[in-house]
Amino acid sequence: MVRYIIRRLLWVMVTLLVITLLTYLIFFVMPPTDPAINFAGKQPTEELVAEVKRQFGLDKPLLVQYGLFVKRIFLGDEYGWPGLGFSFSTRSELKPVIFERLLITVQLALGAAILWLLVGIPIGILSALRPRSIFDRFAMGFALFGVSTPVFFLGPVMLYIFWFQLGWLPGSGFYPIGQYGFWEWFSHMIMPWTVLALAFAAFYARMTRGNLIETMGEDYIRTARAKGLSERRVVLKHGLRSALTPIVTILGLDLGALLGGAIITETVFNLQGLGNYAIQSVFSGDLYAILDVTIIAAFFITFANLVVDVVYAFLDPRVRYT
Amino acid sequence: MKKHLTIVALLAALALVAAACGGDEEEPAETGATGATGATGETAGFTQGGVVREELTDFGFTNGFDPTGEYLGTAWSWYQQMLIRGLLTYPGRAGAEGNLQVPDLATDLGQVSADGLTITFTLKDGIMFGPPVNREITSQDIAFAFQRINTESLIAQYGNYYCGTIVGMDCSAKSQDEPIEGIETPDDKTIVFTLERPTGDMIYRLAQPATYAIPQEVAGCFDKAGDYGRYLIASGPYMINGSDQLDITSCDTLEPISGYDPDKFMQLVRNPNWDPETDDVRLANFDGWVLNINSNIEDSYNKLLNGELDLLHGAPPAAFLQQYLTNPDLQDNFFSEEGDRTWYITMNLLVPPFDDVNVRKAANYIVDKAAMLQATGGESSGLIATTIEPPSVLPDLADYDPYATPNSAGDVDLAKAAMAESKYDSDGDGVCDDPVCDNVLMINRNYEPWSEYTPILQDNFAEIGINLKIRELDVSTAYTTIQTTENLIPIAVNAGWGKDYGSPFGFNFFLFNTAGDSCEGSVNYSHIGMGEDLAKECGPKTLAAWNAVTDNGANPLPNVDADMDACVALPTGPEYNACWAALDQKLMEEIVPWVPYRWGAANIAIGDTVENYQFDQSAGLIAYSQIAVTNGLTPEELFGA
Amino acid sequence: MSQVTDDEIAEATEQLGVEPSSAIIGRTPWQIFWSRFRKDRVALGAAGFLVFLVLVALFAPVIAEHVVHHGPNDLYRETLSDIGLPEVGPSVEFWFGVDTSGRDVFVRTIYGARTSLIVALLATGVAVLLGIILGSLAGFHGGWVDTVISRTIDIILSLPVLLFSIGIAATCSITAEGCLGGLVEPGVSLVTMIIALFTWPYIGRIVRGQVLSIREKEFIEAARSIGARSSRIMFRDILPNLAAPIIVYGTLIIPSNILFEAALSFLGVGIPPDTPSWGRMISEASRGQLYTVAWWMLLFPGIALVLTTLAFNLVGDGLRDALDPRTQVTG
Repeated sequence: MVRYIIRRLLWVMVTLLVITLLTYLIFFVMPPTDPAINFAGKQPTEELVAEVKRQFGLDKPLLVQYGLFVKRIFLGDEYGWPGLGFSFSTRSELKPVIFERLLITVQLALGAAILWLLVGIPIGILSALRPRSIFDRFAMGFALFGVSTPVFFLGPVMLYIFWFQLGWLPGSGFYPIGQYGFWEWFSHMIMPWTVLALAFAAFYARMTRGNLIETMGEDYIRTARAKGLSERRVVLKHGLRSALTPIVTILGLDLGALLGGAIITETVFNLQGLGNYAIQSVFSGDLYAILDVTIIAAFFITFANLVVDVVYAFLDPRVRYT
Repeated sequence: MKKHLTIVALLAALALVAAACGGDEEEPAETGATGATGATGETAGFTQGGVVREELTDFGFTNGFDPTGEYLGTAWSWYQQMLIRGLLTYPGRAGAEGNLQVPDLATDLGQVSADGLTITFTLKDGIMFGPPVNREITSQDIAFAFQRINTESLIAQYGNYYCGTIVGMDCSAKSQDEPIEGIETPDDKTIVFTLERPTGDMIYRLAQPATYAIPQEVAGCFDKAGDYGRYLIASGPYMINGSDQLDITSCDTLEPISGYDPDKFMQLVRNPNWDPETDDVRLANFDGWVLNINSNIEDSYNKLLNGELDLLHGAPPAAFLQQYLTNPDLQDNFFSEEGDRTWYITMNLLVPPFDDVNVRKAANYIVDKAAMLQATGGESSGLIATTIEPPSVLPDLADYDPYATPNSAGDVDLAKAAMAESKYDSDGDGVCDDPVCDNVLMINRNYEPWSEYTPILQDNFAEIGINLKIRELDVSTAYTTIQTTENLIPIAVNAGWGKDYGSPFGFNFFLFNTAGDSCEGSVNYSHIGMGEDLAKECGPKTLAAWNAVTDNGANPLPNVDADMDACVALPTGPEYNACWAALDQKLMEEIVPWVPYRWGAANIAIGDTVENYQFDQSAGLIAYSQIAVTNGLTPEELFGA
Repeated sequence: MSQVTDDEIAEATEQLGVEPSSAIIGRTPWQIFWSRFRKDRVALGAAGFLVFLVLVALFAPVIAEHVVHHGPNDLYRETLSDIGLPEVGPSVEFWFGVDTSGRDVFVRTIYGARTSLIVALLATGVAVLLGIILGSLAGFHGGWVDTVISRTIDIILSLPVLLFSIGIAATCSITAEGCLGGLVEPGVSLVTMIIALFTWPYIGRIVRGQVLSIREKEFIEAARSIGARSSRIMFRDILPNLAAPIIVYGTLIIPSNILFEAALSFLGVGIPPDTPSWGRMISEASRGQLYTVAWWMLLFPGIALVLTTLAFNLVGDGLRDALDPRTQVTG
């Protein structure tokens, strides 16, 4: 078991290193323009561009740059640990910015996750218990709309209805709870949470329903019923457990992906999260920021994968040997 | 913070008493920390106090707010109008008057020698740096600013206005401590500049913020570009909130000033060491200024309309623009000032079909400038441009329109007539029939309103047979793409050019001089005057294109360096302007590198709290040195000064 | 072992004096599948909508020119106000109103159908192809081939998709030729490549898993023992068994690819401006909260997108239900 975990951890490291290298390739090697030009002012002379390159560490060979970046992540740089570098645009350190942005993304992701679990799973369960009833049809219909409606459409529609026409909710933007109080923060998060949660809720409802229906057809459920247990006990105690296990793992993967930044939701609702920052950095050519955001996103995804795999390996010994 | 103010006030009171009792000695009396009376006489009637509240989506600094290299116009406005002082500054007025210097630290506009090679300034007495430096500004502080410009590692982004012009400056010094041969400070109050050659608009260059007084005891700790910005020491009526907390006992004890967070806000409070008696320009009516970063621009405008903000710069989103233009209550709250900026389509002389001047002329005739203006918001966004330099910079060409079309909407017949002269139109019907006119790459920005130009230009150029393939990129990538010569981008509409300072040289020079051309970072996008050496340096594709266009050097590209040299030597005045006007005409009629389509306006939206609105023509923002606000807020309540 | 024919059964049951019911007449898996699918009315309805959509997309130029008389890129600037805001909403002349450049939103919406369909189907096709090839290679050969391909799949699945899409798209937009020597240009080819790049791993993983499990089955061993070549085994025995899971996952992927393309266009890195795309139209409507002034710019392309995705989801559901022997299909 331990060996399995170690092997997977090593693989996580390798994945992150490869992803970093790919990021360098795509954002800094492939483009036929020199990013340093962007930061040398309005009329960048050759000397200015050269000096900018030198100060940003861009004049070194690719592999050296890459090696230095990796080293700084692990050992820290002049701003502390982990060494996230500095922003080319603001010339100041990235660590506080990234962590603040991450905090906001976490608030968005967790809030949405709670919402979609609270909505999606019960709907899925109820639908599974009454297959093909009116409730089931409506619920699955709603679920189908949910997975077919993208955030960048639903978001503006909700803003139009609830903010512009009805005035029930405030518009876009993020208002930190510490500075503005609970209601200001909460009212601004309702729509982003709802919109983000909708597609997931729909998906989880469908999945829960499907899994539960399948589980309910299993032999051991029939045995439980035959033993005389109440239907409720059968479902809640026996059926749910195995129906929900795959859901837990998917939840881990979804959260992992979201924590790297829900780019579109953050863009539509102007939330200062990591996803928003990622887009900004890509569009301004801010290398360390791009690398940091990518590493964090990839880290969450691979870590979530790792946790999920370890849990599975724990439950099913056969997995360890593949 | 409150405790601090009390102590300062106490000391001030003591100083006043001391001065009153002991007669005037070295140190002049300090006026109180709050409620300054402002420059003599001029504040009569304007509300004192209050805090100016603004928001921006992003600071956008090009050098971390370090004045030595900072190139952003907004930053220049904040430097000149509020934070720091130099030999010369600008008066905070609109129009031509606003682009002319007035003395600030200096007693006059400088004494120029008969041969035009030396300029001498005398400094006024009693002007101090703000806390915690707290000492009088001397001529060495000005010289030090130039030494910083001269230092290679500080990346002075407009250093080329000084290097090669002031004797001894080459922008490659290894340390800020190296003195400059051509800048002498015989005593604390005198500074003498020696130039390589007579330079007519030197006075403009000496009014740039990079030359403003910088204290070596603080700035000397920072030899990397952009670092000093978070430790900026004030000399103007305002300082960054928390400057007095700076521990300047050594470089290691310095921490960034708390009132400036590059991602979130900047807060300014009064500089207790600023003496209004020494300042003829700045009224300093308000007590504080705060700018918060808010990426949600609609939110900012909603706040402005609600009274939660006092002013906003920039073009409002369309829905708000409509309100400002149609709502009678908001008539006096929105301004479109001349922005001293030209927006243009640039054509590359190295790339067919734009290597043919007739095609470039046809382009000037075919573009529907009226539609492009409508797309950016109509007249509030500026005027239709007819030549290169905006009229506020070069008034001589106000009525000059070499490619006039009815309603400025473009004219197919005139365009076809021009195209018919081109070698790419073999049958003379006015439509290009050469394969080089198919799939011509054009770079544009990927957001409104630039993205609205795409269908307009596609339609326009199709009428003369040029089939544009328009690529929309984000603004930074778009610029670096056209600035990288080897990319050989044929035509682009993403670019605009604003003046650095109000002289026609400052506008035109790098755009069309070979000095502005390079392999990476060229702003001479048309490559006017490019020679074989540069073409070789930039890469095989550039060399091949250059050879094709110049017939292996037999037909060199048009070059205006000599014309510019002749103009540069003249002293500023009518003859100077006439020289540059003639150059503009030559560029527009004989060389035709651009299709200028708009002279951009600077939009400012103000709330009802703003008094004495003035527009600072030099930096293109509201004149902070002149305005007052009636909101009665205090820095303490807003951000705990 | 010979197969008992339908006729023989029918004859036998007749001899017993019993009516042969259709339930005991053997049918091929495909016949079973098709009759089940036919009974699912919702899925049929959705399939009908898709047929309608394909027709609209195919005939978009005809409709634009002969029915509406507006082109997708024709600028009717007289419908704009002095400051460039669209003043004409849904009306007789412009069924879905105009956008900020004065273009007919209805025409652009139906042209947008072509973009969405072409990109989604093409991208999914390429992804499925890549997935089958690489997944089978991995599953069948095992060893280092499997390791390399599986690890590549893992890495691609760990990448932040949108970020990398933007990066790749930006890189390929700069030069006239695009990337890969002119093969990939901004537009349909670039978006297709990006989408295919990020979705083939899903198929690849499934295929690999299936190949692995089938490989161990006895009938493969039997084939091998009689000397069949690997490629023959691959094509005749393994691939046909993949058809069902591939259809299942392929249909799962199409609607998400439609949304993927729309998302890329929304962020400004997908289809270039002259080709109408629903994602881009929605993006234009939300910039600067333009929908507060021109709601039609947001609503129509958005609904089209939702309905199309919904239809593909329904058809996909129907296909999956019809293929899965365990679900009961009712009318």
